[in-house]
Amino acid sequence: MLSLTIAARFLKKSPGQSALIIGGIAVGIATQVFVGSLITSLQADLVDTTVGSSAHITLEATADGATVDKSLATDATAAEPLISTAVPVRTLSGIFTQGSESVPLSLTGADFEGLDTIYKLSDRITSGSPGLDSDEALVGIAFAERYNVSPGDTVALLLPDGTSGDLKIRGLFDLGAAAANERIVFVDEAFAAEALDLADDEYTAIQIQLTDVFASTDVADRLATGLDVSATDWQSQNAELLSGLQAQSASSAMIQVFVLVAVALGIASTLAISAVQKTRQIGILKAMGMGDGAAGRIFLWQAALLGSGGTLGGIVLGYALIWGFSLAPVPFSITPEPVFIAISGAIGISVALASSIIPIRKTSRLDPIEVIQNG
Amino acid sequence: MAELLVAEHLEKIYGEGDIATRALKDVSFTLQQGEFASIVGQSGSGKSTLLNLLGLLDTPSSGNVRYEGRDTASLGRQSLAALRNELIGFVFQFHYLLPEFSVWENLTMPAAIAGRAIDTAEKDRALKTLALLGLEGLEDKNANALSGGQKQRVAIGRALMNRPKLILADEPTGNLDTANTEAVYKLFREISAEYGTTFLVVTHDRRIAQQTDRILEVLDGELVQDVRNEYVAAKE
Repeated sequence: MLSLTIAARFLKKSPGQSALIIGGIAVGIATQVFVGSLITSLQADLVDTTVGSSAHITLEATADGATVDKSLATDATAAEPLISTAVPVRTLSGIFTQGSESVPLSLTGADFEGLDTIYKLSDRITSGSPGLDSDEALVGIAFAERYNVSPGDTVALLLPDGTSGDLKIRGLFDLGAAAANERIVFVDEAFAAEALDLADDEYTAIQIQLTDVFASTDVADRLATGLDVSATDWQSQNAELLSGLQAQSASSAMIQVFVLVAVALGIASTLAISAVQKTRQIGILKAMGMGDGAAGRIFLWQAALLGSGGTLGGIVLGYALIWGFSLAPVPFSITPEPVFIAISGAIGISVALASSIIPIRKTSRLDPIEVIQNG
Repeated sequence: MAELLVAEHLEKIYGEGDIATRALKDVSFTLQQGEFASIVGQSGSGKSTLLNLLGLLDTPSSGNVRYEGRDTASLGRQSLAALRNELIGFVFQFHYLLPEFSVWENLTMPAAIAGRAIDTAEKDRALKTLALLGLEGLEDKNANALSGGQKQRVAIGRALMNRPKLILADEPTGNLDTANTEAVYKLFREISAEYGTTFLVVTHDRRIAQQTDRILEVLDGELVQDVRNEYVAAKE
């Protein structure tokens, strides 16, 4: 512990120098914590906006036009523990006409509870009420605005069998994507069964959500093979988004690496200067019998003290920046991940310790005679 | 008296080939436990080089230093450091106190390096040393806050703290005025008498050497004279 005591005294003897390097490490770690949390939260938000309220995997029959049995949802859930929800749905198209304008719509029919688990409709209804009875529909806010309809109105749709179906609008939803808000319509499963002429246990697809959205490709592959169905996952449908996320992760990692390199260089240069400044003291300590290892540990302890002080300060500063960001008028919040912050802290201290290698080696090799001879 | 230190055919050569300089040439002598001796010589004669070899701070080009029969040539850096801590106390021309520490902490540093806890016995020893050095009441002062003479006395105290068998002093009063110089040598004598500590003092000043019991004279790297100081011996 003598090495620790001496290290602390050396740092205390030069408070300005110590404070500057602790401040430098703190700013580096704060940047690491803030940028890392920002990018992670931004990506999570983006992914949640994109796929949080939609199916991650859609299972369909391998043959064109064939239906799947309702039991497929139970089989899939039993086969894959990552599945959080599997809802049998009946999908069909419909055409809405107003004046001279016609618009194709995508109708998804299922019981409301099932749709709610996938699309979080209860939270996304902006007017009207959640729920679906026979001959009722939930339409998007973009559709309602464009065609000037509101809850309580009735819309007529041209269905695939050539008939026309009247649906009363029960509520308007906002799925967070303009295309979805204009083209998707949710209907009761009985309405869809009648339009498609399907029996009670016949469905066109099973829509699935996972606890880990990025496992969708692997799970879809396993389901397709294991259950002999066609499985489409969101990742294969959103390659551009994924490459965008990867590019964002890579740039974030680059920033964090450069910040750590700057922190490492800062600590290394400070310790190198300190090693030179304290050569006389180290020399006399060695003359008095201090071993090479104990002398080297003085700088290891200095690095540990600077690193842990700076890292702790950096985490506090990082949280302060995140809190400050929450006050800014942006429709997005940063959620700090304790594991990421703990890893950032551990990396900060490790970098500090690694930065002490050169001064430790220099100090270990110092012969007391060098100091005694040179006065 | 028991044999403490034996220098055997010590040679120190700096540089190689045409630029090689023989700083020490075949120096051999024996120091007995409790002796109060000095090494004299002109500046550049090799006396400090000899002291550094005897203090295990430097390694000879050839020859050997034995402490209490122990051969030091075969020892590694760690063992040499431990031996320095156990057997030798150093006093240099410059005090080399640690400015980051108090007088008390500087004084107890050798014990801390040895890994000894500052227990009651150690504390008593430190207080006694402070009293002997006339430094009572200055324990908590920062080493930098002392006068030149006080600093050198703390350095002497630090050298004494492990109760080493040998004190090697290299021009210990070189930076002190006459009064402080007198006081330091008086102190050396008292310590030698009280603890039986062996002293080997390097000096270029013959008047100081005249106050020691034995004078070893180094000239151009050679030990040219090794005599008992008759005047001092007669006084004794």
